[in-house]
Amino acid sequence: MKPYQVLIFIAVVMGLLGVLYKAFPNGQLLHKQPSELSVEVSDNDTIEEFPIFAEAEIEEAETDTLIPQEPKVIIPKIAVDSTTDSRVFLQSFYSSLSESGNKVVRVLHYGDSQIEEDRMSQQIREALQNKYGGSGAGLLPLAQTIPSRTVKQQLRMNDRWIQAAQGPRRYLVYGPKRDQRDDGLYGVMGQVAVMNDSLVKGSETLTAVCTPLDGRKRYTQWRVFADSSVHYTFAGDSVFLSGQGKVYGLSQQSDTGVIVDNIPMRGCLGLVFTKMDREQLVSFYREQNVQLIIMQFGGNAIPSNKNPGTIQGIVKGLRQQVQYLRTCAPQASILFIGPSDMLTQIDGEWTTYPMVPYMDKLLRKMALEENIAYFSLYRWMGGAGSMARWQEIGLAGSDGVHFTRSGARKAGNAVAEWMLEGSEN
Amino acid sequence: MDFLHYIFAFDAEHPLLFTQFYFWGFFALVYALFALIMDRVPDSLGNKKLHLRNVYLMFVSWFFYYKTSGLFLLILLFVTLSDWLIAQRIHKTKNKFWLCLSVAIDLGFLAYFKYAYFFTDAFNDLFGTSYSIVDKIILPVGISFYIFQVISYTADVYRGRIQPVKNILDFGFYVSFFPQLVAGPIVRAEEFIPQLYKPFHLSRRAFGIAVFWIINGLGKKIIMSDFLAVNLIDRVFDNPLLFSGFENLFALFAYSLQVYADFSGYTDIAIGVAMLMGFYLPMNFNSPYKSQSPQEFWRRWHMSLGRWLKTYLYIPLGGNRSIGFGTYFWVTVIALVSASLTGWWLGIMIPYAVLIIAMIIVPKVFKDPDRLKLFYSNLNSFITQVLGGLWHGASWNFIIWGGINGFGMIIEKIWRGMNWHIRFAAMTLLTAGLCVTDFYTNLPVWRLFAVWAGLVWFVTAIRYIYFLCEGAETKFTKALGTAWAILQTFTFITFTRLFFRSSSNLDPATANEVAWATAKNMVNQIGGAWSNAIIPDFLWEYRWVVAMFIAGMVIHWLPTNWKRRYRLWFSAMPIWAIVIAVCIAIAVIYQFVTADVQPFIYFQF
Repeated sequence: MKPYQVLIFIAVVMGLLGVLYKAFPNGQLLHKQPSELSVEVSDNDTIEEFPIFAEAEIEEAETDTLIPQEPKVIIPKIAVDSTTDSRVFLQSFYSSLSESGNKVVRVLHYGDSQIEEDRMSQQIREALQNKYGGSGAGLLPLAQTIPSRTVKQQLRMNDRWIQAAQGPRRYLVYGPKRDQRDDGLYGVMGQVAVMNDSLVKGSETLTAVCTPLDGRKRYTQWRVFADSSVHYTFAGDSVFLSGQGKVYGLSQQSDTGVIVDNIPMRGCLGLVFTKMDREQLVSFYREQNVQLIIMQFGGNAIPSNKNPGTIQGIVKGLRQQVQYLRTCAPQASILFIGPSDMLTQIDGEWTTYPMVPYMDKLLRKMALEENIAYFSLYRWMGGAGSMARWQEIGLAGSDGVHFTRSGARKAGNAVAEWMLEGSEN
Repeated sequence: MDFLHYIFAFDAEHPLLFTQFYFWGFFALVYALFALIMDRVPDSLGNKKLHLRNVYLMFVSWFFYYKTSGLFLLILLFVTLSDWLIAQRIHKTKNKFWLCLSVAIDLGFLAYFKYAYFFTDAFNDLFGTSYSIVDKIILPVGISFYIFQVISYTADVYRGRIQPVKNILDFGFYVSFFPQLVAGPIVRAEEFIPQLYKPFHLSRRAFGIAVFWIINGLGKKIIMSDFLAVNLIDRVFDNPLLFSGFENLFALFAYSLQVYADFSGYTDIAIGVAMLMGFYLPMNFNSPYKSQSPQEFWRRWHMSLGRWLKTYLYIPLGGNRSIGFGTYFWVTVIALVSASLTGWWLGIMIPYAVLIIAMIIVPKVFKDPDRLKLFYSNLNSFITQVLGGLWHGASWNFIIWGGINGFGMIIEKIWRGMNWHIRFAAMTLLTAGLCVTDFYTNLPVWRLFAVWAGLVWFVTAIRYIYFLCEGAETKFTKALGTAWAILQTFTFITFTRLFFRSSSNLDPATANEVAWATAKNMVNQIGGAWSNAIIPDFLWEYRWVVAMFIAGMVIHWLPTNWKRRYRLWFSAMPIWAIVIAVCIAIAVIYQFVTADVQPFIYFQF
């Protein structure tokens, strides 16, 4: 073949592809519904500038990325109070810190997979304990299926190491149906391990070895939250358990100061608290002097819900959870941490899920109406598209959803600083 | 102005990649002028016409490299000039000094840009110092490829295999030819330089095959590599703990396919593009997952690197004929580096001392030439594997990866030399040992090894019984044996991939930590958090990913003859049919670019 013939071939192919592109501008040959993720921002929907308080350099990048090729879903306008510093609702928590005296002040950090492995909670714990005293990693489940960065957990049964899955049966309030209970007895961690008959019949003992990973013993006391039929003793970093019954959690903690518990609930929307036995929650929250409950949810609602109406429904559900927790722990302040920026591919481009800013706004609105504090992770990161920048600098994973270790550290520190700054005002 | 800037200026965010429209626009323009030169400049000018073509393509290649790497183009130019000059001296004087100087300059660049962090880190570990590199070093694109290419040139000139290129512009074209500049194949001078002086020739069939390679490469890269990576593999490797053991294992196997599809897809396109301009690049991948042994795998995988390492490293080390200073030197370096890495000084130095003694004694004691050959070749190929690992990237995980591959090759060779009684006994002992270790430690890594060994033991037992019963080798049993060997090799290679992936956007220290944590977490999940219950859900929810993986493997394993046949069949189609086929193929491939991303699903709680 002569080169000019090859050139003609290239030109014809490119020309035909150009025609195809004209005929199918979005590149989709088959008729595909315009991406369900495409949304339209109402013309009247002005973007409110929320004060973030922690990071002043945030650029508002919310508008452009939402412009769709084929508008389908209209996001309604929401009026949100942009002037209130929501840390005003943490005042009771701040007071409890300075007045704790010989008591512990407990902070429960509930969240989704973004806080697994003690991510973010670790930084909040360090900051609070550095300032107000206290030590220990706080609550741990009996069988740790997801390793923590703070405590290494291993199980031994009859002097033999076993995997978490080989240990007592776990029930999870946020798990699939087969792992749920009818009686709501999950304890405050939303998960319970049941020591069953076989353990008793064989007179087996179960040993949970929980070693702080920084090599120092950071706690002064062990606590075991379990049925009275479960017997336990301690030696060093080990707890020896025998008997039969439910174990709701172990805790490595100090006698005074602040204890921060990391309670991750993988895949959870945050709508599970009302399924947890009220009496158990009330008694733990009161006895352990829980003064702050952090709820970090919302992210799991984003990928599968493309409709503003559904998001509104989920936020309504979260409002009920907030109200429920408040009745369980009337003494405690509540801080809601919204979802981070999250990315998906829309027509080949990595873009922020259109529902993220919407949910963020709805959550802030809900928080202010419920008199609870709100930290917008999304806005603190820098708004739409910020996750892509985080990925570039190694702060976020390639899924466009989860932080890397360093990303989680940065986010955890930001929340901690924001909280502490509020206590000084 | 912005448009001109976009077209001509270097932009690190937008390198020229084969998968982007910009590249094909660039190629069309380049080809237009190329066609003008080839068709309008009279043939009577002879070499001058070829020279004009070569100079033109060289400048185009430099522009291509500038768009991809900015001012690092100067390194490419410097290396071109220095090696061209030194090769002239080598040819005249036959003095080894010039060869050493050339290699030192070339490897110096590579060492600085690719290994400075790594060597500083290793040096600090070894001597307890705390030197650091102040500036962040950015790796020039393709440096590993073109440096190896120029080394092959000066070495070949020194050995008298080729004459030095008289014209520096021709040489510059050889070093920088854009289709293979950034990701290979590594073209040896003796393969490519003669083509500089041959007139353009592209048969009708070669044209069809070139187009086929390009489409094949685009499909591999976008469908088999990018689609699988974005929708499953990346998220599992980024956070293995979010996924069950089965998902981790699936992602690991899919990663094997992804790495192959990504790399071979890129070189397929390079081969096709070069062919359209009348240049023939060597084959770089030959269905590597059809290999029946690790050794065969390395003859089929990244063949141009394998050949390079064999010619310029393995054979100079002594190959299967001898061991010399180089072997002692590298064994010592690898032992020191491994000891410093692991901190197991005694655990590594004792075997090292035993090995050194064996290296001295064995050649004197063993007289059987076959055994000696095996000893030499095992040693030298192990060193080649480890250094080959290091070529891929400057981090510990690549060394571990190379080391495991080296051991795999040695073990397979030893296995092949055993009779069935010994094979069965050895496998039984190994399996029993691993099962006992697993029982007492209950660690996922031992569980994984025990299950793997158990499977191999089971098949070995069947084959052993068949052997004892003096069963005849039929076509069927032979096919079964081949399938088993392929499966085992694929599994082994896939396992080594645990250590192959590292994050390039992190500094080396973090990259090492991340790579090690990823491997550890994946092993923990596969060996400790396997969950049969979620397998059906996973297969259904990720059905497109699973389907693409299966399709990729089936296509990969199609008989070579079939592949050759459909390639020829494609190339023999009328041109209009090829045009239509290409348009359809690109449109289909584009569907994968724009497909919605697979939603994140948690199966394990």
